[in-house]
Amino acid sequence: MANKPKLLLVDDETAITDRLAPFLSRAGYAVKVAADGEAALREAVSYGPELIVLDVLMPRMDGREVLRELRQKGDWTPIILLTQVGESAERAMALMEGADDYINKPFDPNELAARIQSVLRRASPGQPPLSVAERLRSGDLVIDRTIRRAYLNGDEINLSPKAMSLLEYMITHAEELLSRERLLDAVWGWDYPIGTRTVDTRVAELRRVLGDDPGDPRYIETIPGQGYRFIGKVEKTS
Amino acid sequence: MKWWSWILALLPLGVGILVLVLANTGIIASPVLYIRGNLGTLAILGGVITSLIIIVAAQLWAYNHRKHQRAIRGVQKTASEDRRHFLQRLDHELKNPLTAIKAGLSNLTYEPLDDYLAGEVSAVQAQVQRISRLVADLRKLAALETTPVDRVEVNVGELLSQVSDLVKEQTNGEARKIALILPNAPWPVPRIEGDPDLLLLAIHNLLDNAVKYTCPGDTIEVRAFDDGSEVVIEVADTGPGIPEVEIERIWEELYRGEQARGVPGSGLGLPMVRAIIERHGGSVAVRSRSNQGTAFSVRLPAK
Repeated sequence: MANKPKLLLVDDETAITDRLAPFLSRAGYAVKVAADGEAALREAVSYGPELIVLDVLMPRMDGREVLRELRQKGDWTPIILLTQVGESAERAMALMEGADDYINKPFDPNELAARIQSVLRRASPGQPPLSVAERLRSGDLVIDRTIRRAYLNGDEINLSPKAMSLLEYMITHAEELLSRERLLDAVWGWDYPIGTRTVDTRVAELRRVLGDDPGDPRYIETIPGQGYRFIGKVEKTS
Repeated sequence: MKWWSWILALLPLGVGILVLVLANTGIIASPVLYIRGNLGTLAILGGVITSLIIIVAAQLWAYNHRKHQRAIRGVQKTASEDRRHFLQRLDHELKNPLTAIKAGLSNLTYEPLDDYLAGEVSAVQAQVQRISRLVADLRKLAALETTPVDRVEVNVGELLSQVSDLVKEQTNGEARKIALILPNAPWPVPRIEGDPDLLLLAIHNLLDNAVKYTCPGDTIEVRAFDDGSEVVIEVADTGPGIPEVEIERIWEELYRGEQARGVPGSGLGLPMVRAIIERHGGSVAVRSRSNQGTAFSVRLPAK
């Protein structure tokens, strides 16, 4: 019992926390609930969670303020934001501000549990996540996120804006199985059924530009019937 | 007419009446005036006066017309903003309860349920999923009007072949004759600029509709051509057509016509098509005849 990972669940809606807390407890976590941003900041210190699930829209102090304040203090506890904002640009900004991941309400609790698991696996305690790094390297590939450019062996590569956003999302979620639906939702901001084909088209573009062989991939692996995974080892670079 | 335009219009008549009264009552002298001049001078004088009257009237009319148009645009903009805000609020208000319901349902299914309860929970789950999707689609539709759209060069021919291949892969598509008509002479269809994924989504939606509302054996044509500075993409079918009373309403959110009952869909497809095309600086139109067919046309600026 003692070694259960500690989770802090922050949402002002008791209808949600009353249902979600038991669910996450059964999923194997020690869950504590905070009802607003100020309580979340207090609990982040006193409870010392290994991960915080943080709602964005809350009265008094919203989730993004909590996120900013924790990061400014140098607290890099992994955070998953529960977003309400539909626009993918806003969500990408949340990642740049230091969130480890986000999930759109209304979500399937099993999906949240899966995200918690992968963020915990990916996170290095006390270290900023890859999602805030300005430059990332994976083998011969370097991406500069501030100017949205990518380089292969030092030469700039020409990617469509969507392919660039897709690469950015995949590289910051390396080693994770990313379903087409999740990629569509995160990168495109819509997930109409036809869209899964759209993801395949952009992944094919990425592979072509990166010279990645789908049969023997260095970067993007296809998981048949499930989605894609970025398999290159990713590190921060300057 | 506004009060001041009435004053302006009636001013000469008023001055005339005043002079008549003053002259007839002897307050001012009333000499008999003879206006003499040659025909040319009188004609030019008459012409100038008449032209001045017409110019002033035309200016007034144009001014009023512009003002009216501005007011209409203002009302349309406000209505569109109101609608977007309403959708955002609705989305926001439904999200939290839906999240709580989904979590509650997951808790219910943690313990094994008997067959009856399992069936009931699964039915509720399906309906919650349906509402979630509807809410998400409404939000995406509202977001489409404001989110930035990529601007890359798009080859219309390739886009249409991609859409038509996708639809042919669907089982129903195979029972229809889908013809793709792209001109090569005197020149191929010009390229357009936009977000290829969104344009694919829009045209796919039109073709998918054509398949849904036609019967095996019907013909569907997808064609593109240039018209001045625009590219026209048409998706036409020999299906049952759209009743005249419904034509104006098919672009409204959640509207579903008589024939749509029993056909799967959310009533958000065509509004989404319109939102995507308008975000690309284009326009959509439809012409339809009962029992003959329907043609949707999309106009987009050529690159």
